[in-house]
Amino acid sequence: MNQVKVLSEFYFSRLLGTPIYDKSGRNIGKIRDMAVRWEGAYPRIVGIKYAKKTHQLILIDQIEYCSYKEVRLKENFVIEKTVTLHENDIYISKWLLDKQIIDLKGSKLVRVNDITLSWVVQENIERMILVAVDIGIRGLFRRLGLEFLVNNWQNNLLGLQYIKPLESWNSYLQLNRERQQVSELHPADIADLLEEMDYKSRAGFIENLNDQQAVEALVEMDLDSQVEIIEQMDEQRASDLLEEMPPDEAADILVEMTTEKSEELLNLMEVDDAEEVRELMQYEEGTAGALMTTEFIAFSEDLTPEEVINQLRELAPEAEIIYYLYVIDEAEHLLGVLSLRELIVASPKATLRQLMNTKLRKVHPEEEHKRVAEVINKYGLLAVPVVDEQGIILGIVTVDDIIDILIPERGKLDTYSWFAISKWGGR
Amino acid sequence: MMKNMRTRLGLFLAVMGPGVVTAFADNDAGGIATYAAAGATYGYDLLFTLLISTVCLAIAQEISARTGAVTGRGLSDLIRESFGVKWTFFAMIVLLIANIGTTASEFSGIATSFEMFGVNKIIAVPIMAFVVWWSVLKGNYSRIEKVFFVLCATFLSYIISGLITNPPWEEVILASVTPTFHSDADFLMMAIGLIGTTITPWGQFYVQAAVVDKGITAKDYKYTFWDVMLGAFFTWLIAFFVVVATAATLNANNIQIETVKDAAIALAPLAGNYASMLFSFGLLGASMLAAFILPLSSAYAICEAFGFESGVSKKPKEAPVFFGVYTVIILLGAAIALWPGISLTAVMLASQVVNGVLLPPILIFMVLIASNESIMGKYKNSKWYNVVAWAFTIILIFLTLMLLISTIAPALMSSFINLIGL
Repeated sequence: MNQVKVLSEFYFSRLLGTPIYDKSGRNIGKIRDMAVRWEGAYPRIVGIKYAKKTHQLILIDQIEYCSYKEVRLKENFVIEKTVTLHENDIYISKWLLDKQIIDLKGSKLVRVNDITLSWVVQENIERMILVAVDIGIRGLFRRLGLEFLVNNWQNNLLGLQYIKPLESWNSYLQLNRERQQVSELHPADIADLLEEMDYKSRAGFIENLNDQQAVEALVEMDLDSQVEIIEQMDEQRASDLLEEMPPDEAADILVEMTTEKSEELLNLMEVDDAEEVRELMQYEEGTAGALMTTEFIAFSEDLTPEEVINQLRELAPEAEIIYYLYVIDEAEHLLGVLSLRELIVASPKATLRQLMNTKLRKVHPEEEHKRVAEVINKYGLLAVPVVDEQGIILGIVTVDDIIDILIPERGKLDTYSWFAISKWGGR
Repeated sequence: MMKNMRTRLGLFLAVMGPGVVTAFADNDAGGIATYAAAGATYGYDLLFTLLISTVCLAIAQEISARTGAVTGRGLSDLIRESFGVKWTFFAMIVLLIANIGTTASEFSGIATSFEMFGVNKIIAVPIMAFVVWWSVLKGNYSRIEKVFFVLCATFLSYIISGLITNPPWEEVILASVTPTFHSDADFLMMAIGLIGTTITPWGQFYVQAAVVDKGITAKDYKYTFWDVMLGAFFTWLIAFFVVVATAATLNANNIQIETVKDAAIALAPLAGNYASMLFSFGLLGASMLAAFILPLSSAYAICEAFGFESGVSKKPKEAPVFFGVYTVIILLGAAIALWPGISLTAVMLASQVVNGVLLPPILIFMVLIASNESIMGKYKNSKWYNVVAWAFTIILIFLTLMLLISTIAPALMSSFINLIGL
């Protein structure tokens, strides 16, 4: 690795407006903005915009000396030596300054108050690179020209490798890097970020997530945000995500939309998935039918534990919980239940018919969620099966589903407020 | 039960969009006080100003709502991104001063309504300030809100009262469309106050945020447009009847309005002896509702502009600036209302004038953003629309300057009026 020597460091905001003189001491203009290009680890400054109505740039290697007081050029200024803004380059103030970015360290949206630049020498080449963004209060005071008031405060700098601008960079290299970084975030953090973004940034952000990441994040959100995001999304993508989601969640979301919109989305979904969701949508909100998921595990009574364990390996990734194994006959009548523990400790040659517990608690799809909660609570269950009049199993309601409806997250009350605004348009 | 509540609420919300919500929040204590004073002092003379300022309200709210729908961002966010920290700071100071003023007027409204039941403001204001502060902090605000919203609806009784008094309708309608102007500072102040109470800086921030909050996008904007128009109409309807009712009862009988309480007299044709009770309920509801919204919306706007953590769903420790600003505005607002010897009516009227004076800078930001093609794309302001918006802004600045001159040097003002021959 070649040695990098730092000549000096600058705050971008303080450089703005600095007068530029050429070799003969003629005033060319002042620093209006700087254009950056992403190369290697850090984006580097390629040129300086020196006048208001031009996209010509003074190349950075023309600079002899730079301070907050003045910039001196190596040669006399001639317009022919300037370059036009390249399409892959971007102005700092358009890209970063005052904009919202994702702080990948803290997994939240923050606003860029200032940017630090470093003037370095590497292999005898001088370059100016973007090092970090300032997201602290001291940066705000600096912008107001009042930094002296807070001189003893810490700067809150965030290294450029830890940021993701909402305005995406126009280069593949950069997109890949960002995609990778975002995939390292926890789905719950992605969910929070998405909820805070405006709908345009949100669309761009979701586009960069793969279906699985998007679904995981969506599942972490409250219903109102889910509905909003799915409604704003392009229909094809929305239907893809709905397919991937647990059917009960998908049904909850679709029920909240207009019939027109939900039909449109259902028609775009795979027939099987859509059918399952349609069935769930028929139940009234708050009843066992609406709460249940159809992704449970059921086996025929004639199987042996050995066979079941083998099948489990294939089924488990799909199912919401695998601790309860339901036993059914050919017509899908619910006969009994068996816990995972009982299955594992059972003799491998027995049949489920012999092993299962036939005294099991069940609920009907029309029953209110309160009643379902009572059953789950009273018998200490992780899930309760939902059966119709004929005793055919329709789905299960898990304890998670019940908790979600019983304990709304803090602040959710304000979703029902007419006047208070639950979240402002981003930060 | 849950389901029932949600469907009913859903139906209601479907009808009541951000535009209508803002209109309701807009007819607050200061608003009613200003309309009542306008009607009592100048009869039907200010009805024309009211009509014009309603048209301007519709335009201003439309711009904000459209900007919100197209960008999905709040106004302070856009000001920050387009104009940088210094201008944002300026805009936020303007907003903060206007909102502290308005919050003070809301607490004055609360104090006035309690005084009508013989409760001293020294008891009423601190208790109600605490109720507001605590319920937002604890997140059970939305339930309390409904109570005050219902109380608020009692202002609709001005419509009935106005109809019962059966004013000379020909004169009323004529006055609504004929420009009337008096050259004295009091009239100017009243006119600016009237504009200041209809179109407020906070109302612009609020409607845009509400549009964003509802997830309304550019393609749904056509519904929101009508919602905003309906909202403006509502604001005008109530204001119009308050002016008519007060003009027909107070002005016609030469009763000068001394305090806001006298505005209750205008409800006498409807409610007889219960007029003041009806009025104080309405005043309490409207004031409390706005006392909730104003500190909240200021805190949101400031945090959004400077990138601080915000949101009612956060804990105070997670969003210290948000809850800090919120608390300080309530404290200052309540303190002004409690100031020894201050006239509550004066606070209410003065805060509307402050709003009117501080409105132009916010309007300038709004119009600049809404006409910026790189922000608004094909939804940017059309040319003629901009002409109207700028004309209105300039007229308001002009009126403000006139108010300043006529307050500082009344003689200069009257000679100026003579000069241009009004």
